[in-house]
Amino acid sequence: MNATGSTAPRDTLRVAVIGNPNTGKTTLFNALTGLRQRVGNFAGVTVERVEGSFRTTDGQRIALLDLPGSYSLSAGSPDERIALEVLLGRDPDRWRPDVVLVVVDAAHLERNLFLASQVLELGLPVVIALNQVDVAESEGIRIDIPALTHELGVQVIPTVAMRGEGLDPLARALCLAITLPAPTRRFQLSAAATAALAPVAAALTADGLPPVAAHMEALRLLGLDQPEAHLAQVPGIAAALRDAQVALQAAGIVPSRFEAERRYGWIAELLARTVTRRAPLTHTVSDRIDAVALHRFWGPLVFLGLMALVFQAVFSWATPLMDGIQAVIGAVGHTIGSWLPEGDLRSLVVSGIFDGVGSVLVFLPQIAMLFAFIGLLEHSGYMARAAYLMDRVMRRVGLHGKSFIPMLSGYACAVPGIMATRTIEDPKDRLAAIMVVPLMSCSARLPVYTLLIGAFVPATSVGLGLTLQGVTMLAMYLLGTVMALVMAAVFKRTLLKGPVRPMILELPPYRWPSLRSLMVSVTQRCQMFIRRAGTVILSLSIVLWALATYPKTTVDPTRSPAQQQEARLAHSALGRMGQAIAPVVRPLGYDWKIGVAIVSSFAAREVFVSTMSTLYGVSDVSVEADHEQALQQRLVQARHPETGAPAYSPLMAVGLMVFYVFALMCMSTIAVTVREAGGGRLGWRWAGIQFAYMLVLAYGSAWLVYAGGRALGWGGA
Amino acid sequence: MPTPLPTLDQQPEPSPRRTCALATCAAGVRATIVDIECSADEACRLRALGLCEGTDVSVIDARHAMLLDVRGTRLALGSTLTAGITVQPLPPRD
Repeated sequence: MNATGSTAPRDTLRVAVIGNPNTGKTTLFNALTGLRQRVGNFAGVTVERVEGSFRTTDGQRIALLDLPGSYSLSAGSPDERIALEVLLGRDPDRWRPDVVLVVVDAAHLERNLFLASQVLELGLPVVIALNQVDVAESEGIRIDIPALTHELGVQVIPTVAMRGEGLDPLARALCLAITLPAPTRRFQLSAAATAALAPVAAALTADGLPPVAAHMEALRLLGLDQPEAHLAQVPGIAAALRDAQVALQAAGIVPSRFEAERRYGWIAELLARTVTRRAPLTHTVSDRIDAVALHRFWGPLVFLGLMALVFQAVFSWATPLMDGIQAVIGAVGHTIGSWLPEGDLRSLVVSGIFDGVGSVLVFLPQIAMLFAFIGLLEHSGYMARAAYLMDRVMRRVGLHGKSFIPMLSGYACAVPGIMATRTIEDPKDRLAAIMVVPLMSCSARLPVYTLLIGAFVPATSVGLGLTLQGVTMLAMYLLGTVMALVMAAVFKRTLLKGPVRPMILELPPYRWPSLRSLMVSVTQRCQMFIRRAGTVILSLSIVLWALATYPKTTVDPTRSPAQQQEARLAHSALGRMGQAIAPVVRPLGYDWKIGVAIVSSFAAREVFVSTMSTLYGVSDVSVEADHEQALQQRLVQARHPETGAPAYSPLMAVGLMVFYVFALMCMSTIAVTVREAGGGRLGWRWAGIQFAYMLVLAYGSAWLVYAGGRALGWGGA
Repeated sequence: MPTPLPTLDQQPEPSPRRTCALATCAAGVRATIVDIECSADEACRLRALGLCEGTDVSVIDARHAMLLDVRGTRLALGSTLTAGITVQPLPPRD
């Protein structure tokens, strides 16, 4: 997309899209813009900023900014604060919308119109997309759209985003809106209330807010303890609000309830004039599904079954695709290698680039599948049920039920997982979730688990269709999850002591997810992963190749190729670094090669596998064979140079996996923690605590496994 | 449609019928919200979600967290919140 926030050309119409969560807002956004999107962050915070653009049939370019889902303009979470700042023109990125598109759910008009009524008072042109009209009709709700348009004073366009219906009229309405007068408040306040609020509005207007928006804000601020940070600095606002509250109370009005009572009162009157519905269904389809999904006995079973299905799909169904990618990368690397003369350039291309990046890219199908399942659970409405079911468990360790969603996302990647904590309102609850999300085994750990399990754990059947390999994999995931809960309990009882905020969670009706919208989201995530593989991991692979290749030495040509390779490596910069750190990792049963692989993977865990590939020169020996199998064979056959005993044992492999379960080895996660935990020194402090506690946990547990196992006579090299 | 809220600026007339905490209501009970006692942030969020004084709600499930029908949407509320919400139970529908 080429129309971005502050740089969007002025012939582009800028539209901010807002709506309650679960209204189909993102589906509508995806339907309008397709893949012409850019995902980034709002300045200074990690609230995801998604922008997209499209051209209308008349050739008008429209840039859309998808604002986070909000129930009102009162900012309870960082998400909602961003929405308010953009709409009030106080966004640090200076993205000022020309038009606001409010997406409302036609089947739940009453609740959705609360936010819409606030947006109508911002002094900006507004268009309302009446989405999911098909669902409303199927539930017997009939909306008189011309009457609603008349009542609201803005264009109301019926849409069915999932089927792409109503998009052209919506685009035309957006273009037309800018030529129409901006809407204003649609109801009157009593003379007493108007007089009480006038000084508050005057203070806000003096600070630069448009007069219409200032009146909306004056009414809205009555319900809050104190104005949000961006309004708290307005001169005289606190005193004006206090006076207004006293005056309203003297007039028999409860200030905190006033806005909700007035708006919902007006909405009730408006709906009485514009909406008819047959007697409400006593048991909707959602209720029937919930009777099972939220059942005290069946609910948790359904939940566990779904989780098992997700993991089965991710770890088994992705295999053919992964094999395909591996074959293609191997073949391309081999072909390009064969064109190049024998020497350093060929080694760099084949071992450095294709092996390094290829060993990470191969996990793309698993990542796509995991994101697709998480998207499916979220878009269908089940994710909120899972949070509801898990609330009790989460609460016991001091986490909010909503923390379950970031933790589940953490199985795919800690970065979106940590970003998903933004829906948790309380800063301490949110920080506790941020601190433990990286303990969930993310997809970057998979290559390490797969390599070590394949090499050292036999595929013995343990019954119920499970093998020892599968059980070991499951154990690693469980270990991370249980430790995340334990550490959350520790944090909430020490550094982040405080009560857990009570749950307030909407359970949206179940919906068939839009395949197109799902595809757009998954493609975005895959693009981000490929970009990471093409930048961070490519650079690291080249650096590692150089460290493993230089300085060079002459080796005895009579020795076996493997011994020659080992001698060359021992002389290289990487080899020397390995010897230096060997004493640190020796108590864990690791030799210098694993030490090097661990150190090199501190920036990104996946690099462990590519480093081991480089260290064992897998590509030099069998370019066409399955690299992973070749590397597994090499690990099993590796011998201690002095004793001749096997260099690695199953016990060491389990200890190493435990190390990877706990260690925070990901630059992106550290960066996102710094920003999410408050940025600056505060952010670095929390990121430092996170990194340190996870490293201590990793080293201590790996030592316990190895030393404990040996003490029990389970062997070890 | 739920009972329309009072549209005047004044509070609803107090009713002689008994009131109780929402947390004490069993599944199937319908009630009108009379008062919300919690932090201003939480009250503000509840009101934005449609749960404000004068609203009729139905209890769908009552366990550690309560599941409510509020203006046609399903809302899960934690027990500390429901303990602070005063309601007036309504007679059951025929």
